[in-house]
Amino acid sequence: MVDRRVAAGLGILAVITVACVFGPLLSPYRYDEQALDLLGRPLPPSPAHLLGTDELGRDALTRLLYGGRISLAVGLVGALVATAFGTAIGALAGYFGGWTDRLLMRFTDVMLSIPALPLVLVITGLVRPAPPLLVLIIAGLTWTAPARLVRAEVRGLKSRDYIAAAKVLGAGRLRILSRHVIPNTLATIAVAATLAVGSAIMLESALSFLGFGVQPPVPTWGNLLNKAGPWLVSAPWLSLPPGVLIFVTILAVSMVGDGLQRRR
Amino acid sequence: MISRRTLLLVAGTAACVPAHRSNRNSLVVGLTYDIDTLNVYSTGFLGDVEAAVVEGLLAPDADAKYVPVLATSVPTIENGGIVPNADGGMTITYRLREGVKWHDGAPFTSADVAFTWDAVRNPAFIAESKDGSEDIAAIQTPDPLTVIVHYRKIVPGFATTLFTFGILPRHLLSGVDLNTAPYNDRPVGTGPFRVIAFKRGQYVLTERNPYYWRRDAAGRQLPYVDSLIFKIIPNSNSLLMQIRSGELDLVVATPYDQAKQMGGLEGVDLVRSPLLQWQHLDFNFRNAKLRERRVRLAIAHAIDRTAIVRALGGFPRPIQSVVVPVFDFHDPGAVMPAHDPARARAILEAAGWHLGADGVRARGAERLSFRLVVQAGKGDDELAQQVIIAQLQAIGIEAKADNRAGVAYRQARYKGDFDLLYSAWVTGADPIYSRFLGSKGTNNSLQYRNPALDTVLARMEGTLDPAARKAAAFEMQRILAEDLPTIPLTTNVAVVTKRRSLKGFTPNPTNMTPFVGAAFWRLEA
Amino acid sequence: MTARWLLGRVAGALPVLLGISLVLFLVIHLAPGGPMDVYADNPSVTPAALARIAEAYGLNQPLPVQYGRWLGAMVSGDWGYSIRTGRPVLTEIVERLGPTLLLGGIAMGAAFLLSVALGVVSAARTGAWPDRVIGGFTLAGLSIPVFWLALVLQLVFSVWLGWLPSGGLRTIGVEAASDRLAHIVMPATVLALATTASWSRYIRAGMITVLRQDYIRTARAKGLGETAVLLRHGLRNAIIPAVSIVALDLASVISGAVITEAIFGWPGIGSLFVQSMDGRDYPVLMGVLVMGSAAVILANIAADLAQAMLDPRVRNG
Repeated sequence: MVDRRVAAGLGILAVITVACVFGPLLSPYRYDEQALDLLGRPLPPSPAHLLGTDELGRDALTRLLYGGRISLAVGLVGALVATAFGTAIGALAGYFGGWTDRLLMRFTDVMLSIPALPLVLVITGLVRPAPPLLVLIIAGLTWTAPARLVRAEVRGLKSRDYIAAAKVLGAGRLRILSRHVIPNTLATIAVAATLAVGSAIMLESALSFLGFGVQPPVPTWGNLLNKAGPWLVSAPWLSLPPGVLIFVTILAVSMVGDGLQRRR
Repeated sequence: MISRRTLLLVAGTAACVPAHRSNRNSLVVGLTYDIDTLNVYSTGFLGDVEAAVVEGLLAPDADAKYVPVLATSVPTIENGGIVPNADGGMTITYRLREGVKWHDGAPFTSADVAFTWDAVRNPAFIAESKDGSEDIAAIQTPDPLTVIVHYRKIVPGFATTLFTFGILPRHLLSGVDLNTAPYNDRPVGTGPFRVIAFKRGQYVLTERNPYYWRRDAAGRQLPYVDSLIFKIIPNSNSLLMQIRSGELDLVVATPYDQAKQMGGLEGVDLVRSPLLQWQHLDFNFRNAKLRERRVRLAIAHAIDRTAIVRALGGFPRPIQSVVVPVFDFHDPGAVMPAHDPARARAILEAAGWHLGADGVRARGAERLSFRLVVQAGKGDDELAQQVIIAQLQAIGIEAKADNRAGVAYRQARYKGDFDLLYSAWVTGADPIYSRFLGSKGTNNSLQYRNPALDTVLARMEGTLDPAARKAAAFEMQRILAEDLPTIPLTTNVAVVTKRRSLKGFTPNPTNMTPFVGAAFWRLEA
Repeated sequence: MTARWLLGRVAGALPVLLGISLVLFLVIHLAPGGPMDVYADNPSVTPAALARIAEAYGLNQPLPVQYGRWLGAMVSGDWGYSIRTGRPVLTEIVERLGPTLLLGGIAMGAAFLLSVALGVVSAARTGAWPDRVIGGFTLAGLSIPVFWLALVLQLVFSVWLGWLPSGGLRTIGVEAASDRLAHIVMPATVLALATTASWSRYIRAGMITVLRQDYIRTARAKGLGETAVLLRHGLRNAIIPAVSIVALDLASVISGAVITEAIFGWPGIGSLFVQSMDGRDYPVLMGVLVMGSAAVILANIAADLAQAMLDPRVRNG
């Protein structure tokens, strides 16, 4: 039986993803299409522009959906990379134990102890990140959580009978790790991955909000908020939708993660 | 030219009584940046606070003309203040005002002026600007009120820098390391206001200087206002909200995107004052494609200044020349290529740049794709950038945003790490264009080299004769319109947001900011 | 025994701190445009002066030597001078620490009280409507982007209603406590929300585990009131696993809430950090990062210590 919350979360995510992927294709406007006669001031929502326009006369809805593509892609890929790396570190540390474990976990501690957002700000302030670098930076900061979860799980599995049996049968350690241990931690990895997606999307939007992420005119939810900020007083309709979408997306992701966790 | 008074834009009707106010005769000023230091020579900002606290020998007025401050007159050849020497240099003599006192009551003398030169040129002092200090060979101070400055060469713009920025107090700073001196937090000057508290990231409190020398026509000692309170408000929403709520009386450099939203507020005036500042699109001559004049010409034809101005709320004014119209040596005959995308496309087509499947023109393996750098986080510039990107896209040129923040931006700009650069230059009342466009110019990051232009610039900057200077300036503007190393786009205006009860405010177009006139401001009920 | 344990923990933390300082040092010095570039683009600093500054900062030495020197200076309390303002880094940081601790302290204090209340109620009524409402709230609290929440609060309370000032530490010239309070409400709420959501989940989980234990059943059987059972026996033990999370979050307060401070113009460490970034003020950046990291490590040790004192099993185990 699928948990109700998992189903609801996945449903919401599906709707948002479909809207972001196909919405810009259906829109009569391009995301960077400026309307000369509308330059200067944002326009409130109207039948022609359902969410209004920004100060360059660009359709806010089109930009919102197009921006979702970037935000979702950076979030998903960032989380994927983080989970893969974190799983590898966690599995190695948990399975081999001893010096390997101590060394890897010290390294994890170091990364966990550095204030994350300030460090990212320093790096992105030095090197303006294109999306691939942004993904790496986000992954570099979120891999520690999966690493710890997987390590704990692997340490538990190590003492199980079937692992001992495989050892007796003479299977190599890496083979045991990849064939027997990791497959049994998939549930944990799935939970870690969903949590990572949430933090990755949040991190990307925070960076873009501070002006250190993807550059205009390419929109992301974060930099749309950044540009809407100064218009908060006289054009609040620009600030609300990107925030709502970030919120709902992360909420949906958390629902999935919560549901998966509860089932275990 | 339109007089500045007619530029006053009146908005709203009834006066609004400011709430949250402890002293009725104090003026609350909003600053949009966080002050680094209050030393005029090391700050990275324009020095609004400093202009109300520290005085120089001369200062530019509302028409960018110099008037005497701590000196009794502006030295000229006619009044004998400037004497060209046989060896190619010149000697300038200042008579200092009598009875001027520092904020602590100590007398101001010629020794302070000589000390200022010594302190600024000291190699151990890390200054934002040492301009002008290297042109001086020696300074003599025959008596406490006379300063004789010997220049190595003719420097028509002598008044723009060193002694105009401000004089440093010798009795407090002699033998002190200026990089770390307490002076940087609590500057002591001769100006109308003295600093009593500086809380970083929050505010600067000043009070009227009881020793201030200046009096109004009725003989009353200035300033009129008891104190100036500078509030540091980097967040633009807060700025807007605090003007609305009456917590702020004055913002001298309102960002355009905030100014667009300030119209129609009760008791608040928006004053537009011209600035000696122009926005331009620069070409990097390290890039072979941009060394091709036809590409530059096509880009010039692609630019529609009215669209940029509209995007910026209608505040800036379109220009055609690097010499902004405030100056009398602005040449109205030097005109940039007109907005004509069809023409631009034809020029590129003729030059062999054909449209590719991706919408970008290419010639062989080379594509007309450029990095366009602006300062990250500067909303107005990022907005203009997107308009420019769209205009270039329309003629088949791809411009990609490559924006950097803070010092990283300045570095890209000075070292030429860009293809196209959209930025602004600010000058003093006596601009030195060779800095920006001369082959050896310290700020020529385009690597633009034009010997003919160098000759003209040398002529312009080596004469004290206004007519000869104007002729050379006209020639310079025609060369630039022909060769197109940089496309002047707009000249900025400072949008001053002020409470209507603030009277006696005069805008100032120079880098000395309107605060040089703070002594004359008064609040009326 | 505890003293020996503590010594061991501190000794174990030293390599971590060393590792952190190395990572930070490398990031900042190997990035394109090291610290000297700040001066290099200033036309009025001559090459000779540049070389002299490089020597003064020891920047002409090999990287390992530089790191050693920097570490030595850092340990002895010499954190260098700010490039932006020319003042000692320590002065800059200490000046901003007050507002940051005030904001963080109030936010964290509120978050702790609130999360204990929510966690206990939630655990006492597992599955019932209060639990579900609180569960929804915590999920939302964890998902809401703080920077957006901050903007929305400003919009509602400063622009539309006009009840609260939109930013700053206080009104200049006004000393009243109510003025300070009005300024701190919104940033503290923003800071506290996500923390409350996260902490209350840990406390709920801890409570549920504890409430299944035998001694709780015994306590109930003895006829103790439900409130007494929950608070006296349950909460005390349920808080133990949450302590390390709480300590970490508390420690992160010290490096400043970068986003919240920026939006509300709060003159704390976070604002200092953003300005130093713009000015590439490396000494200040390093100072803030090292201080933040050290706080996290200390908090870890403190959390272990607290756990040991609360829970005899850990102490003896």
